[in-house]
Amino acid sequence: MSTASSPSRLGALLMTPVHFVMRLIDAPVRGLQKATGIGGMAAFFLAPNMLIFGIFVLLPLVINFVYSMTGGTAFFLSERQFVGADQYARLFTCGSYLDPMSCQEDAFWTAVGNTFWFVILQVALMIVTALITALILNRDLAARSFWRAVFFFPVLLSPVVVGLIWKWILQRQGLLNFILYEFGGTEPYTWLTDRNWTFAATIGVSIWAHMGFYALILLAGLQAIPKDLYEAAEMDGTRPARVFWRITLPLLAPNLLVVVVLALIRAVQIFDEVYVLTGGGPGTSTLYLTQYIYETGFASALRNPGLAAAASILMGVVLVVLTLFQLGIGRKQENKGKR
Amino acid sequence: MGEIKLTDVKKSFGAVDVLKDIDLHIRDGEFVVFVGPSGCGKSTLLRTIAGLEKVTGGEIEIDGKRVNDVTAADRGLAMVFQSYALYPHMSVRQNLAFGLENSNMPKQEIAERITEAARMLEIEPYLERRPGQLSGGQRQRVAIGRAIVRRPTAFLLDEPLSNLDAELRVSTRAEIAALHARIGSTMIYVTHDQVEAMTLAHRIVVMRAGRIEQVGTPLDLYNTPANRFVAGFIGAPHMNFLKGEVVEAETGTVTLVIGGGHRLLVPISHHKLSVGDKLTVGIRPQHITLANDPGSLAVKVRLVEALGSETVIHADLNGEKLLAVVSGQKQIAPGDEAHFSIAGAPLHLFDDNGLRVKGA
Repeated sequence: MSTASSPSRLGALLMTPVHFVMRLIDAPVRGLQKATGIGGMAAFFLAPNMLIFGIFVLLPLVINFVYSMTGGTAFFLSERQFVGADQYARLFTCGSYLDPMSCQEDAFWTAVGNTFWFVILQVALMIVTALITALILNRDLAARSFWRAVFFFPVLLSPVVVGLIWKWILQRQGLLNFILYEFGGTEPYTWLTDRNWTFAATIGVSIWAHMGFYALILLAGLQAIPKDLYEAAEMDGTRPARVFWRITLPLLAPNLLVVVVLALIRAVQIFDEVYVLTGGGPGTSTLYLTQYIYETGFASALRNPGLAAAASILMGVVLVVLTLFQLGIGRKQENKGKR
Repeated sequence: MGEIKLTDVKKSFGAVDVLKDIDLHIRDGEFVVFVGPSGCGKSTLLRTIAGLEKVTGGEIEIDGKRVNDVTAADRGLAMVFQSYALYPHMSVRQNLAFGLENSNMPKQEIAERITEAARMLEIEPYLERRPGQLSGGQRQRVAIGRAIVRRPTAFLLDEPLSNLDAELRVSTRAEIAALHARIGSTMIYVTHDQVEAMTLAHRIVVMRAGRIEQVGTPLDLYNTPANRFVAGFIGAPHMNFLKGEVVEAETGTVTLVIGGGHRLLVPISHHKLSVGDKLTVGIRPQHITLANDPGSLAVKVRLVEALGSETVIHADLNGEKLLAVVSGQKQIAPGDEAHFSIAGAPLHLFDDNGLRVKGA
């Protein structure tokens, strides 16, 4: 029977090289297992991944820490001198922590302040927007898949592209001012040169770029809520607002928590699209922490890799705390699921 | 009061007609069970009564009032869902109170109703627990409790026992029957399990492919099924069907020939049968006995299921399957020749269209 045997013959053909390799490595792997035991085999299989992680993550982390203990403008470690915790001391030398200008490294504290407000506002607004979007996309809309794709699309764009698109829209002779002038006769706004507008623009653009991702997580959460619960609520004559506050929101809480922590981590790291859009300006009004680190270490005339490394270590500490928080939540939810 | 009347009810999902011309009158206090195979429309019918689905055509009346355009909440019905649909983040007490709080009922009265329902269902010790901390049977009680506290016109139960294990199902079934006797409200119960239907119902509604096949008391359906489908669906194991042909038709009796040339004399009060008519003869497995006399049906035994108190024999009669349930334990094995007697067994006759022959 050709129809029955041809797929299996094809399968056998495809498996030939696999079998060949397996036979080839069979003897040495057996020998290794005999020598190291099962535990040793686990280490053997993990080794390639650990090697990559070690070279590209762990080692740079250590080197970065060493850099933060050195001073001078030289780039190579061998040419740099050990200064101990001086760089950290420099970052923390302030007249008053509430006034960045009283600090020795005022740009760092300005960036910290900007990042703080950016994180608070961007995350809060984005979560609300993502939740509303997910709630709408969860309804029986016409062309629902199309709308889901539309909201997710910006997530696929490179941050540089996002920055450029919005620069074209927001610059003085950009699309937005053109539309406002054509339809409202309004004088051009200085979206990207007015301090407040620019700060708002960085928040708006980053929400636009990332919201789809979080909306998708929340949408998945909404869809996991059994339909029966809503029907039971309907039988009970529950008003829509009460259904949202008493059923939807509590059942979505685990997803919301994950989304909040992920969004926080990402917001702290904000850099690329803002750098393309505003370059941190006007002045230092949209200078965020990652940009400060980048400019201090690589781009300013008097580059100071040691100071940049120290600042990045401090930022890393914040991110580690947030990540541990997220892992804690994950574990708590896992335990809840088991019960 | 809890009288529900359906007139010519239709429901379609797109081009698919799920319910076709449903006419049904459920009396106040009655326990009615909708039964039928998967996809027959029984759950959809329940949901249209509940108001969770809108009908495409026809009328639904509750206590004489047309409710087609009345919301689910305002129909005064309570539903127990197959999955229980308990709010997982609320305690049992909060689950019971949730619906009552919607209607701004005084706290005192809510507490009283919860206490009463909890006592009735013996769930008092679990009131502060969450559904996730309860067993299947306890959740099931909470789901029923949530319906009870609302004091509805009628209870709608959608396969409430299907998530329980066999033993718990039997005991919960008995509790539901006792609950109905105590509350006395109208109950509509959906199941695909005909044993549940037989044991619980005042009347059973047998459905197939969106239509009602027969409505009647459990024994009506068992003794005089309206058609071959109902005959096969009600009763376990299901009824045997043998091909037969009328060879003599007289007033008061007809004589049929079935497989193997065996002649059956069927008393039939008034009929329009004539010689040569092809019929299907239905015989319940419990009505067949083992016999020795040569006038009985000679069969070949295919499979024997010894259940201790009774023996189920799967046999072959000239190429037709025949199942017998005989009491006690029998020394019989697959491959044996045996004789089945149907003397005195009630015989059901069905015509070409599967409809019961009147008078039989």
